[in-house]
Amino acid sequence: MNKNIILLKALLLSTSRMNTLKHCDDKKKRRKAVGAAIGTAFLYAFIMFYCIIMCIGYGHYGLIEQAPVMCALLISVLGFVFTIFKTNGYLFNFKEYDMLMSLPFKSSTVAACKFLYMYIKSLPWYLSISAAMLAGYGFYAHPSAAVYPIWIVLSFFLPLIPMLIASFLGFIIARISAGFRKTNIVQTVLTVIFVLACLSLRFVIEDIFTDNKVEQTLGSISSATGSAANYYLPVSWFSDSVTRLSATDMLFLIGVSVSLFAAVFLIVGKTYTKINSALKSHAASKKYRMDSQKTRSAVQTIAFKELKRMTGSTNYMVNVAMGELLAVIVGVLTLVLGLDKIISFILHGAPISADMLQPAIPFIVYFFIGMMASTACSPSLEGKNYWIIKSLPLEMKTVYQGKMLFNMYLTVPFMVIATLMMCISAKTPALDTALYLLLGITLCAFSTTRGCVCGIKHLKLEWENEIEVIKQSAAVTIYMLPNMFVTMALTVLVVFLGTKLDHKLISCAFIAVTGIWAFIDYKRAIKYGSEQDN
Amino acid sequence: MSNKAMLEIKHYSKSYSGSKKAADDVSLTVESGDIYGFIGHNGAGKSTTIRAVVGVLDFTEGEIFIDGHSVKNEPLECKRVTAYIPDNPDLYENLTGIQYLNFIADVFGISAAERDKSIKQYAAAFEITDALGDLISSYSHGMKQKVAIISALIHKPKLLVLDEPFVGLDPKASFTLKEIMRKMCAEGSAVFFSTHVLDVAEKLCNKIAIIKHGRIIASGSMEELTGGHSLEETFLEADYE
Repeated sequence: MNKNIILLKALLLSTSRMNTLKHCDDKKKRRKAVGAAIGTAFLYAFIMFYCIIMCIGYGHYGLIEQAPVMCALLISVLGFVFTIFKTNGYLFNFKEYDMLMSLPFKSSTVAACKFLYMYIKSLPWYLSISAAMLAGYGFYAHPSAAVYPIWIVLSFFLPLIPMLIASFLGFIIARISAGFRKTNIVQTVLTVIFVLACLSLRFVIEDIFTDNKVEQTLGSISSATGSAANYYLPVSWFSDSVTRLSATDMLFLIGVSVSLFAAVFLIVGKTYTKINSALKSHAASKKYRMDSQKTRSAVQTIAFKELKRMTGSTNYMVNVAMGELLAVIVGVLTLVLGLDKIISFILHGAPISADMLQPAIPFIVYFFIGMMASTACSPSLEGKNYWIIKSLPLEMKTVYQGKMLFNMYLTVPFMVIATLMMCISAKTPALDTALYLLLGITLCAFSTTRGCVCGIKHLKLEWENEIEVIKQSAAVTIYMLPNMFVTMALTVLVVFLGTKLDHKLISCAFIAVTGIWAFIDYKRAIKYGSEQDN
Repeated sequence: MSNKAMLEIKHYSKSYSGSKKAADDVSLTVESGDIYGFIGHNGAGKSTTIRAVVGVLDFTEGEIFIDGHSVKNEPLECKRVTAYIPDNPDLYENLTGIQYLNFIADVFGISAAERDKSIKQYAAAFEITDALGDLISSYSHGMKQKVAIISALIHKPKLLVLDEPFVGLDPKASFTLKEIMRKMCAEGSAVFFSTHVLDVAEKLCNKIAIIKHGRIIASGSMEELTGGHSLEETFLEADYE
């Protein structure tokens, strides 16, 4: 058997739920695997439903020809975003590096198989989008029979180019970081800069479309996606392949994907060992001199340990601290440009003023800060180190109190700074500002305790790669998705209520509700934590 | 007549950006039939050297040859004849023991009959046959170590490189491993391993190198090195100097 296939097969088998179900007698583990499979099936169903609804919208307004463009764009964006966060951890700096590299595999084979593993694992998500949109397109556009197989075949190639671009950027970041002593810090800073640059690019592109006087209608979205296809050629190759049955475009999409794959891994393979050696090595200065040591309480020391755990991992830091950074950036932008300008820029002239938006300030800041709570993943991140805290003369509730304290240390200062900046920009009265700050802090407490409940309830200590815990775990998904959607809904609700009721009253009501909920979740976290003592 | 050099390390140095050299001008030769012990304090540079030998760690200074092939320029040829057992084997936790062994056997292109024979033989020797159908995640450290050892042996390597191989092994498994090492060397292979257990090194090795602060401070045959003293005394004396 080809060595690439042998390695790929082992990589897939090593994270396969089916394999766990087949060979594991532990009923709890089996139940968890089944539960995770059901949860994933729900998410697939949700995504497909969303895509079908989108097609119905297109079909209803006679814009169904835009469906292939939207499908390609959606898959490309998701492929790019998901890959950039996974590159460090999957492609570089992975746990079983020593074992794999000591086997007779070429460096480029290991790198390429790791990439293909990422591709195959995420393929069902892209195919579910594609299948749903193909169904919608088929229903409204009545295309020829040839479109169906072409669409399906090309769907396998669509995510390749964005994933390869993201991997190559991850490679450049890793390559640069490898030249520094503090590889971890440099890698984190470069990744954050890169993600922020991508976000800005999105607004620059939107601005281009806005300058073209595109109207805020579904039609404008289709024009926008059409314009995007002109900027990102694989989208138009896909679209032309299925709408005009253009063989040239088909060959372009397949040819460029395959050639890019070969080129990327030829380049990556050349310095793969060097980069991984640097990323997996930890420089030792051996200059430490014994000095008087500081003492901390047990809770404080757990919080400090969490800080060191976070700063020691690029994946952890980028995912947990990105929201905080974005909140401050939004705060600074509002302060510099003015809240009104930001509102009109984001909402494209929708009839919402800074005054109307005031009561939603804490929720807007919380949208970024509460996006991810360190408490949702930190219990599982203990992984093989779980024995350390379990063997200490500490109650588990103290451990979780320490973890929650760390999340409060991480979120509250950013919440206060961002809220203050937005309030100053919106010229919010002092009392309202104080209430917004209090609401913001209460929201941080809620995020902390909610995350902790999810983290303990869906504890997963056995993992191959920390990305599995930080980005893909049940705990993080169950915390993040409802939290994000509810925050968006609450922002709209608060703006609406603000037009009818006094802002202070609204804030007080939300402080009370959030505070009670945070308290209940805190009690639950402590209860679930204490159950681990037995 | 001198034996064939299975491993030649020539003036190998490794430093991490901005820090002291982890390995500094290391040179040694392991010939076929040798059981070569590599001893030194924690952080002396043993693992850094071993990881470079097996092609896991890159290096810019010096050269390393395995069976005449350069680790830098012909890594695949080197890896085909080498087996490496790290001190803390990170195996695929969600594979069963037998799935993992089959994966390694597939990589080395071992025939079904041959792998059946080897796996049966070594699994029985390490008393792990019953557990081979279980997920590796359910194994103890020692059991993982045993699977890593079996995976290293099934392709009959010419050079076996081990980093602290006896840590976590039960007494019987340690004995079995020592017997296997002796047998391999009697058949013309070579073993290069690091250890802190000086008694084991003294009884098992015919050659020793002592590394301190990344530099080889003493090396040679056991007799030359110890001159009738115990290895422990020799090590402490060399270390003191």
